[in-house]
Amino acid sequence: MRQKLRRLREEKDTRRLIAVILGGKMLGIVGVLGAMKIFAWLFESAAWAQGAAPITHAANDFVSPINTVWVLVTAFLVFFMQAGFMGLEAGFARSRETVNVLLECVFDTCLCGLLYWAIGFAFQFGAGNGLIGHQFFFLHGMTAAYGTTKVSFLAFFLFQFAFADTASTVTSGAMVGRTSFKGDILYSIMVSGFIYPIFGHWVWGPGGWLGNSMGWFHGLAGGTVFRDFAGSTVVHTVGGFIALAGAIALGPRIGRVFKRDGGGPLPPHDLTWGAIGGVILWFGWYGFNPGSTLSAMDWQGIGRVAANTTLAACAAGMVAVLFVYPRSKKWDLGISVNGFLGGLVAITCPCYWVSPAGAIAIGAVAGIVVPLGIDMLEHWRIDDPIGAWPVHGLAGIWGTLSLGLFAAGKYGVPTADGVDKSTLVKGLFYGGGTAQLQSQLIGSATCVVVVFGFSLLLMFGIRSIKGTWNLRLQKDGELEGLDIHEHGTPAYHMEFGQGVSYTTLLGSGQSLSSSDVPRKRPLTVGVSSNEEDL
Amino acid sequence: MIHLVTAVVKPFKLEEIKDALRGAGIVGMTVSEVQGYGRQGGKSETFRGGEYQISFVPKVKVEVLVETPDVDKVIDIIATTARTGKIGDGKIWAVDVDRSMRVRTGEVGAEAL
Repeated sequence: MRQKLRRLREEKDTRRLIAVILGGKMLGIVGVLGAMKIFAWLFESAAWAQGAAPITHAANDFVSPINTVWVLVTAFLVFFMQAGFMGLEAGFARSRETVNVLLECVFDTCLCGLLYWAIGFAFQFGAGNGLIGHQFFFLHGMTAAYGTTKVSFLAFFLFQFAFADTASTVTSGAMVGRTSFKGDILYSIMVSGFIYPIFGHWVWGPGGWLGNSMGWFHGLAGGTVFRDFAGSTVVHTVGGFIALAGAIALGPRIGRVFKRDGGGPLPPHDLTWGAIGGVILWFGWYGFNPGSTLSAMDWQGIGRVAANTTLAACAAGMVAVLFVYPRSKKWDLGISVNGFLGGLVAITCPCYWVSPAGAIAIGAVAGIVVPLGIDMLEHWRIDDPIGAWPVHGLAGIWGTLSLGLFAAGKYGVPTADGVDKSTLVKGLFYGGGTAQLQSQLIGSATCVVVVFGFSLLLMFGIRSIKGTWNLRLQKDGELEGLDIHEHGTPAYHMEFGQGVSYTTLLGSGQSLSSSDVPRKRPLTVGVSSNEEDL
Repeated sequence: MIHLVTAVVKPFKLEEIKDALRGAGIVGMTVSEVQGYGRQGGKSETFRGGEYQISFVPKVKVEVLVETPDVDKVIDIIATTARTGKIGDGKIWAVDVDRSMRVRTGEVGAEAL
């Protein structure tokens, strides 16, 4: 036995084997210990183990519970906007890509939630410098209330997650119908995890340069700072311009011929859901804007914001319909929905600081901006099936600038306990000069240049990936429809019969059909005549 | 002799055609929702201020099996009822049917109608 062992030790191969096994064991032990440490950190189990806190009495503090309930209720409303996006985007798209649109919204929401927990919230709302935050990664080190808000930290997190999710979903609107699902995953990671939170930090984050000092542009801002109450720029211009970059990188859907070339839009497949989705978004906006006070103590503020939001939407929806009527002599449902959404996007930035009449004026202009934006895209031959760029990008810019014109000079900023009127926001039309307008211009232009520039690089980058991770689906998948090709099922089953072939009209008598596309494998082997197949 | 009269008409005319044929003693018809184009070559619709072409216009196809003496009467009833005088009123045609059977009883020919 001993001799046998010695002989084993002397054999070179055996020694190496033993060394490898022992080394592996050591690595394993280190790995397990490391994982235990990481889990303990991630789940904060060490903190829990230190014993339960004594009973805390909250009854004497009314502000924190009320603010928290307010923020939670509005967070739920903002979250419900996902349902609106699903209806709007699916309804305005063709039936063959319905499942794709729906799953994109669901999947992006799930992805965004986890990314925002891990890094997004830290980038956006963690302490750091003017460009990026780096605190609260994996929600580590959170306090009872976030900052001075008197809102439960996690309620604040939930509210901000719902915002991030909205920005990420806006993006998919312009890219419907030809984006591969893998490509969608790639850009969604960048939007939810990096672009939105980092730009958001610049405006809303602690120490963000646009929201606090105006950075290099300090001298141009005349003592004001960039103000975006609920996110015309931070959410909508960001989402709208990423969407535009995506639509440019992708190119139009097969068969989409533009007006200049004798074509027109591809018809929507379900305007019932399109319009209901739009109205659900409107409803969700009652969380988006009033909730952005983060404080129910500012009771006049939340009332004003809610009313302004409504009035802007009404004005925009009506103006858009009337603006388009002379052209087609028809009362256009699609433009009314895009129109009131544009009004909602526009009022999102100034909603706190303008009067009801101001809100109507801002909405009315948005009702013209949106159809003009749709015409611009048509002229540039950019295919945006939902109208994401005119509604979110363009109306977002208008709304952001409009604060510099219409801010009434009577309102300060909401605080946890009420209102802080030490700095009143005043626009050009109310005798405030151009200072606020200049700040708004700087902020909006920064967003367009930085976000649009980066998004173009990102989208063209994904577009140039070889293989199935490319941003755009291969031609056969697009003709067959994303639902069947990417998801294995159509949204609307034909109950009787199978073997449906999908045809896309190309104009001038040409068409492409799924049966034209060569199959990957021949249907039969060794049979030369097609007739024998039948 | 049995004939199949087929008419492709504007969908909103279907009820009138059905009532008129019933009133004339014609029992039974088959209808289906179809799409097609004729000389007008489709039509245009608008969405968000943009105009687009519909190549195939929605229509209703009516199929009626009738005996020889009734063919002209049926064609006439459908034509007068479906006519609006505007483009897209549709077409009617008839073909001979060489056999027919009532599934339940196995009756054939004119008995099957």
